[in-house]
Amino acid sequence: MARRSRKFRLRRLLWIGVPLAAALAGITALALYALHLDHIVTEQFKGRRWTLPAQVFAAPLELYAGAPLSMSDLTQELARLQYRPSVTLDRPGTYRLADTRIDIALRATRFADEVRPAQILSVVAGASAIQTLKDSHGADLPILRLDPLLIGSIFPSHGEDRIIVTPAEVPPLLPAALKAVEDRKFDTHYGVDPHAVARALWVNLRSRQIAQGGSTLTQQLVKSYFLDSRQTAGRKFQEAIMAIALEAHFSKADLMNAYINEIYLGQDGDRAVHGFGLASQFYFGKPLAEIDLAELSLLVALVRGPSYYDPRRHAQRALARRNLVLKLMTDLKVIRPEDAASAAARPLGVTSRGAGAYYPAYLDFVRRTLRRDYRETDLTQEGLKIYTSLEPRAQDAAEQTLDRELTRLERTRKPVNAALDGAIVITAPASGDVIAIVGGRRVGYSGFNRALDAARPMGSLVKPFVYLTALETHRYTLASIVQDAPVDIRLPNGTHWRPVNFTRQVYGAVPLVRALAESMNLATVAVGMDVGVTNVAQTLQRFGLERAPAQVPALLLGAVNATPIEVAQLYTGLANGGYRTPLRAVRTVISATGEPLRAFALELTPIAEPDVVYGVDQMMQQVMERGTGRPARAILPADLVVLGKSGTTSDLRDSWFGGFSGSHLEIVWVGYDDNRPTGFTGSAAALSVWARVLADLGTSSWSAPMPDSLNEISIDYLTGLQVESGCTDKDAISIAVPPSTLLPKQPGCPAATTPGVLQRLGERLRAIIHQ
Amino acid sequence: MMRISVLVVIIVMLSACGALARSERPSNPPAESGSAEPQAPAAPSAPSTPTPAAPTRQFHLGSAATALVAQAHARAAAGDYPAATATLERALRIEPDNPLAWIELGQVQLAAGNAPQADNMAHKALALASGDPNAQASAWRLIAESLRARNRNQEASLASARADGLAPR
Repeated sequence: MARRSRKFRLRRLLWIGVPLAAALAGITALALYALHLDHIVTEQFKGRRWTLPAQVFAAPLELYAGAPLSMSDLTQELARLQYRPSVTLDRPGTYRLADTRIDIALRATRFADEVRPAQILSVVAGASAIQTLKDSHGADLPILRLDPLLIGSIFPSHGEDRIIVTPAEVPPLLPAALKAVEDRKFDTHYGVDPHAVARALWVNLRSRQIAQGGSTLTQQLVKSYFLDSRQTAGRKFQEAIMAIALEAHFSKADLMNAYINEIYLGQDGDRAVHGFGLASQFYFGKPLAEIDLAELSLLVALVRGPSYYDPRRHAQRALARRNLVLKLMTDLKVIRPEDAASAAARPLGVTSRGAGAYYPAYLDFVRRTLRRDYRETDLTQEGLKIYTSLEPRAQDAAEQTLDRELTRLERTRKPVNAALDGAIVITAPASGDVIAIVGGRRVGYSGFNRALDAARPMGSLVKPFVYLTALETHRYTLASIVQDAPVDIRLPNGTHWRPVNFTRQVYGAVPLVRALAESMNLATVAVGMDVGVTNVAQTLQRFGLERAPAQVPALLLGAVNATPIEVAQLYTGLANGGYRTPLRAVRTVISATGEPLRAFALELTPIAEPDVVYGVDQMMQQVMERGTGRPARAILPADLVVLGKSGTTSDLRDSWFGGFSGSHLEIVWVGYDDNRPTGFTGSAAALSVWARVLADLGTSSWSAPMPDSLNEISIDYLTGLQVESGCTDKDAISIAVPPSTLLPKQPGCPAATTPGVLQRLGERLRAIIHQ
Repeated sequence: MMRISVLVVIIVMLSACGALARSERPSNPPAESGSAEPQAPAAPSAPSTPTPAAPTRQFHLGSAATALVAQAHARAAAGDYPAATATLERALRIEPDNPLAWIELGQVQLAAGNAPQADNMAHKALALASGDPNAQASAWRLIAESLRARNRNQEASLASARADGLAPR
């Protein structure tokens, strides 16, 4: 009996004890688990450091009296920056246009070197230039920059991109709207909202699918910030505990701001758009602080499903959901019914993708430049701000012209399977600033970047360096007679190289200047063999060619591969009076807090004597006046002085044109990616692109003072004979030569010198001298 | 003979006019009248001062560049050479053919301890300053300073002498 009762007691103990112990263990485990989650939440959230991709900015447009900008240039730039017309001009980001005057309410802006507060600016612009620039008190301003356009960011491979906003930058209506639509009890709950969960459960059971989340904003934040997107019961539990832990440690205002910066709101290729700051830029192209009620409602609508309600792909759905958001806000008296009604009548107002600030080819160059100095994680996580030389105006013009011209050119040829493609690089040669890069015809597509990666034979673009090497020997001048005659060079392997002229003709004795202007192959080989292939190769390297070219005679006709950006570097020395300036896309990098980190300052390296470069430049001017570049004259403004050189490779596989004005250097390549013949020469395809882009840029004439070591004389372009003062010769050109140069004179020149016609003669002479 | 020499004189004059007209055209924005170059270094240029070579032009910085140069001077005085450089590069983008802008940039380079760059910029300025003895003299003075900074005193004296020959102090 006693045994029995003991057994009984034991059993009773087990009956009560085991569950009790289990419950205790469970509670302990749960508590430990909760503590663990609490630790994660506080530790990870306390610093609240999002990995911030580096932001990349274009060059700000400089405004000053005399700046070559028309009113339409100005309004286009303001449109790019998403400034809106406004009669009252009552907030930053607006402008008011009245005839030739425009008043602009500038946003507060961070430049690389300073922060500019918001301010009002008045500009009077004429047909082609700014006339006056005044502040809000009517005082003249010497110079002022518009905002630098955000052109992209360098986001990590997992693709999260965001722009962090502070509470001050958030429209007060946004938190109110989020609460109205997503979480009405946000201000009072402890992280979870049992009522909402019950309601959601009920709805879900009835519809037999997960239709309602019932998650609080805090839970959504937890899910996005700490967890991945799988939906399981266990995850829900974890999410709830973490939400409660977050609420215990952080204020509601903190959590709301974190939510606004964290939440996923759209997809752009590889790039995930997080936070309302970036979403505002991504959908409307302007800062969050400037969005109106309709725009704000659309962003709030997107929280529930950025892909399902994508306003660019599913405009109807997006519109319906936006108007639902407006209705919910009205119901909760967050906004007045009349405001909701007028906002609901508005279109979605999203910018079209690809319009405005999206330049993957240029960003590609920026990224490559910075990779030399920064680790990938610095670029994708540290919130750096990168200020570049990109000029959106030039970039847009170049992109549009390339596509338009290639389409036109294709129509003139038999249809081929592949699409003709091309690349453009535009720089400011004096500073080395790269102001535009077009990597191909499909500009919004970040694929093969021909401007940086298509290494193709330079063809005749190499010739200026052959002639420069010749002038450096001081045995040649622009008027030196060279022989354009059949060439037969025995190569070390026993074969013979017998180049021909493009025209298959032989020109005989011609002056050096004409040989370059008309891109004569035979004369060039004769000159190049005389001065030495090795020296020509060294010249190319001096001008910035990084790989040593193969030292074969064919180098003289451009058997050396270069990408458009490399050619741009080579031509910089020609455009810059014999100084090399490293091409640079990035001017300055500053930290997230505004500390300057790295400046890529302008540097000059002398690489050729100014008088030699001046001579080559004069020859390249004749390319445009009388040689292979002449067709550009029909496209360019009549009085614009530009210099250039055409390039074509064998079988017309590559069509090149490279050249410069006073303020711009432009390299154009046109061809097929598979290297098939184009049927276009340099002066047909690339030249028409080159000239049209340059004409659109509103560029200035090339002009350089003649070095004091040279004399200006006049020669006959065809024969190289000196044209005596007083002679009229329609082919006379003015060239600069060393003072010691003695030239054979043109025979028999009847000079009409009766005093009565002296005046007229003078006019004519001037015309000749300055042809 | 007489006729020919008259003609030569006319041609020279006409071509000088042409050169002048052409030199006027560079992208310099119209300098406001009366905005002499207060920032231009060592350029006390009274037109009456006799100069060895007949000046064919005189460079000025436009009002925008002048304002930027003033800002750059303030930044350089505060020891912030990168910011001063960035500001001068803005001026240079507006007037890339103006030797005075290059000289300003070279002076900041020199102050920042980069004498070789100062030298290169001064030579670049010199090439652009053709026809303007005052600007040429400023360029030579910068060359002299950059040489002196590298203890190349003999060459520096020669450069100074060239400056003084162009535009006596």
